[in-house]
Amino acid sequence: MALPKRIIKETERLMAEPVKGISAVPHEDNLRYFDVTIDGPGQSPYEGGVFKLELFLPDDYPMTPPKIRFLTKIYHPNIDRLGRICLDVLKSNWSPALQIRTILLSIQALLGAPNPDDPLANDVAQKWKEDEKGAIETARQWTEQYAKP
Amino acid sequence: MDSTHFETRPRKKRRFFAEDSSPVVQSIQRYSSPPAASPQSPPKEVESPVSIPDDGETGQDGDENDEFAGLLQAVVGRVSREVLDALKLRSGGDAQRAINMYFDRSWKTAAEPTAPLRQPSLQASLTTNMNRHGSDMSNAPMLSKPSTPLNPILKSMPPKRYIGSFGAIGWATKSGTGMLKHEEHVGIERTKLREPAGKRRIINNKKQDVVVRFTNNRGEEVGRLENDFAAWISSLMDQKVCSFEGTCVYVPDRVRTGDTIYLQLRCYMLRSAFDKRKFVKPDNNRSVSLFAEKESQDEKDLRLRQVALVKLFEAINLQPTRANENAEKYKRQGLLQAAESAENNEQKSKARNGATGEAGSSPASESEEGEELEQDQLDSLYKKAQSFDFNTPEMTPADTFAMDLRKYQKQALYWMVGKEKDESLKHKEESMHPLWEEYEWPTKDANNDPVPVVDDQKMFYVNPYSGELSVEFPRQEQNCLGGILADEMGLGKTIEMLSLIHTHRNEPARDHTSHTVHTLPRLPKHSVDVEKAPYTTLVVAPMSLLAQWASEAEKASKEGTLKVMVYYGSEKSVNLQRLCCEANGVNAPNVIITSYGTILSEFNQVSAMDGNRGSHGGLFSVDYFRIILDEAHYIKNRQSKTAKACYELMATHRWVLTGTPIVNRLEDLFSLVRFLKVEPWSNFSFWKTFITVPFESKDFLRALDVVQTVLEPLVLRRTKDMKTPEGEALVPLPPRTIEVEKIELSQDERDVYEHIYLRAKRVFNANADAGTLLKSYTTIFAQILRLRQSCCHPVLTRHQGIVADEEDAALASDLAKGLADDMDLGSLIERFTTDGEQDVNRFGAHVLKQIQDEEHAECPICSEEPMVDQAVTGCWHSACKECLLNYINHQRDKGITPNCFNCREPINARDIFEVIRHDHISPTDNDNIRSDNPSSGTQQTPRVSLRRIGITGSAKTQALLTHLKHLRRTSPTTKSVIFSQFTSFLDLIEPALARDHIPFLRFDGSMSQKARAAVLEEFRSSNKPYVLLLSLRAGGVGLNLTCAQRVFMMDPWWSFAVEAQAIDRVHRMGQEEEVKVVRFVVRGSIEEKMLRIQERKMFIADFGSASSLGMMSDEEKRIQRIEDIKELLS
Repeated sequence: MALPKRIIKETERLMAEPVKGISAVPHEDNLRYFDVTIDGPGQSPYEGGVFKLELFLPDDYPMTPPKIRFLTKIYHPNIDRLGRICLDVLKSNWSPALQIRTILLSIQALLGAPNPDDPLANDVAQKWKEDEKGAIETARQWTEQYAKP
Repeated sequence: MDSTHFETRPRKKRRFFAEDSSPVVQSIQRYSSPPAASPQSPPKEVESPVSIPDDGETGQDGDENDEFAGLLQAVVGRVSREVLDALKLRSGGDAQRAINMYFDRSWKTAAEPTAPLRQPSLQASLTTNMNRHGSDMSNAPMLSKPSTPLNPILKSMPPKRYIGSFGAIGWATKSGTGMLKHEEHVGIERTKLREPAGKRRIINNKKQDVVVRFTNNRGEEVGRLENDFAAWISSLMDQKVCSFEGTCVYVPDRVRTGDTIYLQLRCYMLRSAFDKRKFVKPDNNRSVSLFAEKESQDEKDLRLRQVALVKLFEAINLQPTRANENAEKYKRQGLLQAAESAENNEQKSKARNGATGEAGSSPASESEEGEELEQDQLDSLYKKAQSFDFNTPEMTPADTFAMDLRKYQKQALYWMVGKEKDESLKHKEESMHPLWEEYEWPTKDANNDPVPVVDDQKMFYVNPYSGELSVEFPRQEQNCLGGILADEMGLGKTIEMLSLIHTHRNEPARDHTSHTVHTLPRLPKHSVDVEKAPYTTLVVAPMSLLAQWASEAEKASKEGTLKVMVYYGSEKSVNLQRLCCEANGVNAPNVIITSYGTILSEFNQVSAMDGNRGSHGGLFSVDYFRIILDEAHYIKNRQSKTAKACYELMATHRWVLTGTPIVNRLEDLFSLVRFLKVEPWSNFSFWKTFITVPFESKDFLRALDVVQTVLEPLVLRRTKDMKTPEGEALVPLPPRTIEVEKIELSQDERDVYEHIYLRAKRVFNANADAGTLLKSYTTIFAQILRLRQSCCHPVLTRHQGIVADEEDAALASDLAKGLADDMDLGSLIERFTTDGEQDVNRFGAHVLKQIQDEEHAECPICSEEPMVDQAVTGCWHSACKECLLNYINHQRDKGITPNCFNCREPINARDIFEVIRHDHISPTDNDNIRSDNPSSGTQQTPRVSLRRIGITGSAKTQALLTHLKHLRRTSPTTKSVIFSQFTSFLDLIEPALARDHIPFLRFDGSMSQKARAAVLEEFRSSNKPYVLLLSLRAGGVGLNLTCAQRVFMMDPWWSFAVEAQAIDRVHRMGQEEEVKVVRFVVRGSIEEKMLRIQERKMFIADFGSASSLGMMSDEEKRIQRIEDIKELLS
């Protein structure tokens, strides 16, 4: 299937005007499949880490949101052990006006502002609520352990 | 020919112009004038001085007063008294029999043993005479020498004349010995001798009485002929065509009932047979209203005679000496077959009509009787009629004619003028009527004995198609001073006709320089008082073409050389009789243009006035110089009142113009020929016998050949793709491209379509299962119609009047009750009926500005730049219209409330607005929008306006608008034509055009003549880039729309030919630029399937000659159509 104009344009733009701390590179054999890295935001337990994600644009993109998953282990109340992300714009709040770039920025923002009230990983969220300091520490350790380039 | 010999003139004429002839001849005529009366009746013959022996001996001793002798000698010549006595004895005093006996010599072999002495010598003298006459093919001088040249004796045909003999088989009805001897003379009787006349049966009794008896010398009935013979011999005898005499060839000594008896029959043609013709040919030109369509008794007799004659000639082995070369191809067998099948048909229809029907088909069933022609048959027919000679001389039109004619048009003019002027016809070589055959009278009988001959009548003529006989040379009469101009559409029939009007005309007497004044003798005024109008040509055309005729007539004439009058509506107040009469020649209109409708209504008025044409003062009160019927297939149905009215119009010259002289039945042509008064074809019985019957009995080649002989002298037809011998096109037309544009329905439209589709399919399947497909054909067809409409615009399916079947009534009531099943359709359609354009002023200026600014922005959804058909949500966020709608549908499919892609406000498809840019409108024609379209809020024409999606409704109208707008931008002056078969669809297109400020005009069947003319004139003359909306039906014929270069076909028709005809309104002669045609077809819909069926049909017509030559019956056609529908619904 020919690649829709929108995907081509987005890809081109991601290449031409990269966002700081974010990269997305399509696979050569499948232009709908992207290797993504997101730098952990400053002033967060993830600072200094480089997180790998995979991103896939389904056939009916942009009617449906892209599918995104962390490949790098991360300790985050909205990200489960499999790397799945709980983020409204990836689900009910998706809009075709959103793009890969904006989604990735959202994810980056999510790293800076975890939301334990809407958890995906229950144990992490629990910990986050009960012992935020300890949780942040664990997150930092995980970043140290898994997300160092 | 040698008109000095009055005897070569048609006998018929002599009857009426007796003063031309000598008294003697008169008496001959008196003699033959009661042809129906039996020529055998002696008292009549004895009065006649005609019957004088043909050896020239006149004197007669003492027997002058003997009726028997006089009669006898009148025929056989002088005989001795002994012979006379013997004959009288043998024949029982019956002169008729005696004459027969004398000639076949049976009186000698019969009971009387002594042969008269003088007999042999007389026989010998007769023989010499006969031989001489037989061998000498020029008029035997020997015969005429003894008498004066005008001696009528030799010119007259005897009451009967030997034609041939043959063997026949009979069977005895009695037993006994010595009833009949070998060589004994046998009388052949039609009815039992001495039977009371009351027991006679009438021919048209249900069971035909064909019994033919034969009697012995004593006049006693011996037996009957075998039915094989009796069947036709009886008709010949009943119709007084022939009489028969027999000789017994073999008979058993002792006869038992049922025994076979062999006879030799001698057949004589009766003189009355040759008179019959006058009575068979009904003179119905003057009794149109009573024109009998049924097969009359006459017609039936004719047919019986036809069969009988063919069988007789077969039996006596008589071959024509001359026959039409076409006719030769038709085997006699074929003739018989045709006639017999007519008989069978009649039997069948009788059976169907029960006891009531005589030859009984009602007029209604008659009108459907003619079978339709298959396309390839029509083609081959036309091909024959089209053998146009490119070397036909040209004629330059009169110098009052203001247009330049092309070469082929000048040739047409030559041909037409030739047809109109009798001179060309007078000098024409006399040729035998193509349907007749010439036979030579035998000069010797079966025993090689001579038979008497009649001077100047060596030949007789038979029409094997009708069984008519004649001793006169049947010349091919061409008394129609006009014809059929059947050039294909676009070749300029109108112009050709106008050149004829200019070139062949009478000039009012005041013009002394004119030498073309025809001295038209004033007819004696008869009761109806029809006035001659020697300067006037009447043009009858469909209403829609009146204005076109008038303007073309103006254009084609130099200033003031042609007075044209449109006789229609209010103009009808004039008295045509006064206006057009010869005395008023200077002021008389040269051309009166009127409509078929006017003809019909005046016809009704005149008939209400008991046919008093004169006092009516209208169209029927004058006898025109020329009548032209344009689009003459309007009168193709000879039963229609319009056709009958047209037949009644009087004129010297008659022309019909039509691109399709035969629409689908051969009968179509009949009506034209009838109007033209082409004898004898204008007689329906004649036509039926020669064309309809053979055609229906599948003898296509013969029927078509005959049709061709009818057409050939009458028709001039050229087609657009004819090439001159140099290989040039007759009319070089600019190229034409046809493009099929596939339309995607919007989701909502698709929903409606699917809904109707499923319903149609349900009905179809239910009927298919129940085996009632053929019965419920119309219901299914209505469903298909609705399906096609839903492809155009969903609203159409709810249009009143279109949907009228029961199911819709049920649906309506369901809707009224708010029932669920069809709720969805109701609400679906509602989406298309929401009214109104958003009031632009309601939005803040900044919103508009923002929207305008976004014009070149990228679509946030598909990244298209600029957006394709920018649209905005209710919250003013822009995207491509399609993206926006897709997204809304996507969300709806997932069961979530659609919201804005941008701000996530809940939105809804009805709150999407299209951004309309009016950049295709040049500032000048802002005021040109049709005033009767009160589209509010467009007074100051904003550059951008917002329009709620769904108002312009369907995908098709959208596509159309896209094309038109594009056209406006790229080619701002090009005019376009839009065809749809649904006027209600045109109604929906109109407001859409108005909204987009595209100037348009409308032309359909509901408009008055004035309005039509105004529309056409405006379309033609204005330099605005008009769009003309036409209904396929009203605009399919005649119109000339060459000022347009674009054609949009909104919906496909069942056969492409109809669409092609519509396209040819634009792509016809006069078109100077390339024509582009766009046919809109909804993808994945019934329309696509219709295209496939169209293609298949074209294929069949082109290549399937073998299969389609075997015509399909009605039943088969229906089945074929059901197959089509099956395909449509698959």
